[in-house]
Amino acid sequence: MIEIKDLQKVYNGVRVVNIPELNIRTGETIGLIGNNGAGKTTLFRMMLDLIRPDKGVILSKEKDVAQSNDWKNYTTSYLDEGFLIDYLTPEEYFYFTGSLFKLSKAHVDSELTNYSEFFNGEILNRGKYIRDLSKGNQAKVGVVASLMPEPELLMLDEPFANIDPSTQIRLKNMVKELGTKKRITTIISSHDLNHVTDVCERILLMEKGKIIKDIATNSNTLKELEEYFSVLS
Amino acid sequence: MRIVMGILVAYLLLNVLVVAFFMDKILMKTFPGQDPLQTFNSFILYYFLMDLIMRFQLQELPTLSIRPYLHLPISKNQIANYLSLTSLATAFNLTPFLLTIPFLVKVLIPQYGVGAFWSYILAIFALTMHNHFFSLWLKRKVNLNAYWMLGFFALLLLVWALEFYFKVISISNVSKELFSAVIKNFLLSPMLLGIGLAAFLTNHNYLKSNLYLEELETSKTSAKSSTEIPYLNRFGLVGDLAANELKLILRNKRPRSVLVMCLMFMLYGLIFYNNPKYDGYGHIVFCGMFMTGIFIINYGQFMFSWQSAHFDGILTSRIQAEDFFKSKFLIFDVLSTFCFLLTIPYVYFGWKVIIVHLIMYVWNLGVNTILVLYFANQNYKRIDLSKGGSFNWEGVGASQWILSIPLLITPFLIYLPLSYFDYPKIGLAAIAIIGMIFIFSREFWLNKLVAIFNTKRYTIAEGFRKE
Repeated sequence: MIEIKDLQKVYNGVRVVNIPELNIRTGETIGLIGNNGAGKTTLFRMMLDLIRPDKGVILSKEKDVAQSNDWKNYTTSYLDEGFLIDYLTPEEYFYFTGSLFKLSKAHVDSELTNYSEFFNGEILNRGKYIRDLSKGNQAKVGVVASLMPEPELLMLDEPFANIDPSTQIRLKNMVKELGTKKRITTIISSHDLNHVTDVCERILLMEKGKIIKDIATNSNTLKELEEYFSVLS
Repeated sequence: MRIVMGILVAYLLLNVLVVAFFMDKILMKTFPGQDPLQTFNSFILYYFLMDLIMRFQLQELPTLSIRPYLHLPISKNQIANYLSLTSLATAFNLTPFLLTIPFLVKVLIPQYGVGAFWSYILAIFALTMHNHFFSLWLKRKVNLNAYWMLGFFALLLLVWALEFYFKVISISNVSKELFSAVIKNFLLSPMLLGIGLAAFLTNHNYLKSNLYLEELETSKTSAKSSTEIPYLNRFGLVGDLAANELKLILRNKRPRSVLVMCLMFMLYGLIFYNNPKYDGYGHIVFCGMFMTGIFIINYGQFMFSWQSAHFDGILTSRIQAEDFFKSKFLIFDVLSTFCFLLTIPYVYFGWKVIIVHLIMYVWNLGVNTILVLYFANQNYKRIDLSKGGSFNWEGVGASQWILSIPLLITPFLIYLPLSYFDYPKIGLAAIAIIGMIFIFSREFWLNKLVAIFNTKRYTIAEGFRKE
């Protein structure tokens, strides 16, 4: 699905991302972890063609994301509030993002009923614009908007931050389902090692721009990661 | 850029100073046979009444700035003082002095001496402080309960009626008496200071007892509903994007004030068309360009900064750059057509006015849209939509200034040479034809714009991410 070759990004003389090679196969659920400043968000932004790499390429379905727009047809993402049109109501936003994937209003409405538990009654029909919602609820809007079109590739940057525990658990189940039932390739970053090891089948650990660990999740992974982070601090 | 802004502000201040310095001459000319000082005195209270209304409309409430201090060990008294003090830095508090001091130095000091001057200044200071704190207090009250605004306007209406309709009171007489007394009796000004102090304390106490974010912030929570803009539906994705942009304009403070400005500009023609001094076509070309193109100019100059808060979302979603640009053209077309329709009443000044307006409308749609979008590709400044529009320089950069030069000059480069050799109508025809050519070759320019956008998009997105 995704192939990264010799990728580098330098800010002020510091190499914030430096990945010689990385392959992500279709249907994999990837957890991206690492302390602040490890380069997770920069990597996401390069995969989404928001910033230009200084060196190297990112291929999505064998096409360079910086050259071709094809990846936009099967990729959805939510990195931060900068992805939300905050003066729309959540409904308007869902209709709009749905229409980009040719989903009719009726279709969006019926899809939204599937998320009523996830929304917990705090999103729809509240008479609020997205900008008036709390951070956690904004994240919910962004996550659902990227799940709804059933993309082939999904990227979420710290989706578990800011949302309440019950929603975290629901989100975990939703993401697991994406991987197992729908074979959607998912890349999720998180600071919560429990969640990531629980959801993802493959963990990429970043430190200072490099991927220093690439592990298939097993029963020892959580312990291994906890050891790494406790030594580091 | 700061330098240009500085020069502009200095120029405006200089204008005020010049008016103030020649105030005595102006007053003698307009009110011949009267003592200029007496006339001046009679205007002061009117000025402060207008000042109060203006402040009520325009002055911003400094509240968010205290959020980081509320949880720190700082007494509420100090925070209230901080809010009061920081609010003082506004042009409203400077102009009364700029307007009066030159006149007073020139006229009052020679006649009544320095003591009277200081007494006068103290009185002006007292009234300024009163207006300042009273308007802040009133605005805060209105934020919580709109009836206060009704009450305020009812009171103003009552004063107006008593003065002009029933002729029971005369503000000018009161003003004249008051300031004549201030000049002679040095005890009066310190007494006036009392009302300034009263307004300060009212505001201060109100702040102190209501220092909670939810009460201080403007939080009018009327229910927001999802709306559709029917006409734009038929344009598919481009229409959806234009509809979103229309919502952006209507639902955010700053672009909304741009729209209001555009509507006010529709009166621009009255200044020129009423004046028999102007004949020929030159001034209609100028007015017509502004009136039919004001939206393109005023709103377009800040593109794509309006969308800076969700620009990453636009770039990563399934929106082709072509459609993005087409939606801009669509919104320009729709709103400029609206503006042109609004100028139709100017037919009162003759058919030629409307025909020139139509020509300039074609010019705006053809040339200025492309010009504005070309400069939008060079604009990397973020804009916070929630802040007010007046005196807000956020997002103003070199591109707006450079843009204004070709925008203003090009139609005249075509028209003036021809009109100079007595072919004004050919000049107009040339503008119309060039406008049409650009409208019909839009597809070509669109592709050029998209190509530039694709090379600039990283820089634009990076600039917009900087808060």
